Amino acid sequence: MPASRFTQTGNYRVRYQQDQTIFATYAEQASLIVGVLLLLALPLLIPKTMLRDVDMIMIFAVAVLGLNVTTGYTGLINIGQAAFMGVGAYATALAATRLNLPFFLAIPLGGLAGALVGTFVGLPSLRLKYLYLAVATLAFQIIFEWTVGHSPLLAQGGAISMPTVQIFGIRDTFLNHNMFWYYIILPVLVAMALLWRNVLRTRHGRSMIAVRDNDRAAAAMGINPGTAKLTAFMIGSFYAGIAGGLFAYFQKAVVIEDYGLHTSVQLLAMAIVGGLGSLPGSFLGPIFIVALDRFMGSASSWLGEKDIFPQGIDVATAMRPLAFGLAIMLFLMFEPRGLANWWRLVRMYFKKWPYKF
Amino acid sequence: MDLLPQLLIAGVVIGSIYALAALGFVLIYKSSRVINFAHGQIIATGAFIAFALTQSGMNFWLAGLLAMVATFLLGMLIERVFLRRMVGEPIISVIMVTIGLSSVIEGLIHLTPYGAGSFSFTTPAVLAGDGLSVLGTQLSRTQIAGVLAALGLLAGFTYFFNKSTLGITMRAVADDQMAAMSVGTSVERVFALAWAAAGLSAAAAGVILGLMSGLTLGGLAGIGLKVFPVVILGGLDSVVGAIVGGMLIGVLENLSAGYLDGLVPGGGTREVFPFIILIAVLLLRPYGLFGTKEIERV
Repeated sequence: MPASRFTQTGNYRVRYQQDQTIFATYAEQASLIVGVLLLLALPLLIPKTMLRDVDMIMIFAVAVLGLNVTTGYTGLINIGQAAFMGVGAYATALAATRLNLPFFLAIPLGGLAGALVGTFVGLPSLRLKYLYLAVATLAFQIIFEWTVGHSPLLAQGGAISMPTVQIFGIRDTFLNHNMFWYYIILPVLVAMALLWRNVLRTRHGRSMIAVRDNDRAAAAMGINPGTAKLTAFMIGSFYAGIAGGLFAYFQKAVVIEDYGLHTSVQLLAMAIVGGLGSLPGSFLGPIFIVALDRFMGSASSWLGEKDIFPQGIDVATAMRPLAFGLAIMLFLMFEPRGLANWWRLVRMYFKKWPYKF
Repeated sequence: MDLLPQLLIAGVVIGSIYALAALGFVLIYKSSRVINFAHGQIIATGAFIAFALTQSGMNFWLAGLLAMVATFLLGMLIERVFLRRMVGEPIISVIMVTIGLSSVIEGLIHLTPYGAGSFSFTTPAVLAGDGLSVLGTQLSRTQIAGVLAALGLLAGFTYFFNKSTLGITMRAVADDQMAAMSVGTSVERVFALAWAAAGLSAAAAGVILGLMSGLTLGGLAGIGLKVFPVVILGGLDSVVGAIVGGMLIGVLENLSAGYLDGLVPGGGTREVFPFIILIAVLLLRPYGLFGTKEIERV
């Protein structure tokens, strides 16, 4: 333990047990509690129109957490995370509309369906590495989109509307929709983040990291790389499935366009901009990408009024992919460790203040 | 009317374009181990440059040639500005840079009047006449010219790699960068050249495709995804593989469209069949038909 449990002045750990603690100081523990309280009060602090984006960010954060397990921690490039989300969303939709299950059972069911399909899709990872695996997940993404588009059971990719939800006597209505789902998504997100943190502390989590860093060395140390990779795919796609289920209820309908290749790329971009393999990055990435998209939307409508571009050009459809692509490229070129690294630097600054290092 | 020869010929026609598109992809992978997700967008850029030039009254052939020069320079520029910094970075970063690049190019195309609509070249007079009939199937002159042009370019590139000094240099770099450097080869120049050559072949593919089936951003950029089944089947680092894979995928997707569409509600097996082949190839023979066996089993 540090000499003082209030401020950290150095590393005084002498036992493994101390090394395994999550919080080194009371300050860290308190900041987490304050953070959660702030999150609980957030809908009262921000304008109502922003709440919808906050909900979207939190749903994406769940999916990005999962992507960070496969891609960030195990090094398996996954260009099909949106398809896993879609599997979860469609499973949730079927459970809710056909089996009439309540949402608190339908969403976990979606997560399980995602995990099942994800493990199956992860099977090629036993033989393939790197970009071959990337191409395999890409193929799954395209096959998924096509299959849904051709299944009469899934409305051939058209909208399957979700039932209205009620909990503790409060109904999800048009007026309180964003607020209602905020208070459902928030606990799910916090629980999923805690699960993530703790899975990484287990044997499985550490073997994933070992496999990412060097799978041959990991195998030599008695870790089964195949099991580690499949576990990573299972956990990663479970997160995606949960995110898909939440997204289905939040959007009130499941449409195949929401789970296309573009969304997969967006999720990857969020993971990278946030910083691959970091917990804060899984939140910062979605915030950045969603905010950038909104900003470019309003900026381009402002530009569109200025008559800079000739008539007939939809500035919004041009500026959004442009800014999105540039953001990915600039981050990879100049800050490959993502926003999480800035977060780390800020933390270090306060920890060491008033000294430089 | 017999169905089979018709499907086969249609498959070869589209397959030759796949082969040309895959060639650019293989060139880049072979020399620098970069998977280029932006290849479809480069194809679209080439096609739209050529179209814009013909719109301003330029001769079709000259426009096509200028478009190829333009994408040649574009390829070089992309390598110089973005990819050169990524040497030694993890594969995921390199892949994501090209994905970002594809998004940027798509945005830039949307800033021109060509982003949303669908256009078609005015067919040059030489190609406008009657076609000829092969095995009972009518082929238009455009299609024949497209196939011939694609085959000609592919033959040219193969010759270039096997006989010219520059081509042999590129093969040397692809084989062993360290060894190539130690005998005085400029690896950087070769990378730039590979991207430039890929751009060149992309513009050719774009113009030929535009001539045969019209120009839309979605259609042209979509070829960039079709390239993956082709190169995985042929072998990621094999020029011959790109050609054979392109033809095979073209024929197979047409056969599936001809024989399987009736069995599936809604049809359209053409879009998904190549990717099913891709997964099968990955599981059975990951290095493809002609690729180097470099995959380590874990």
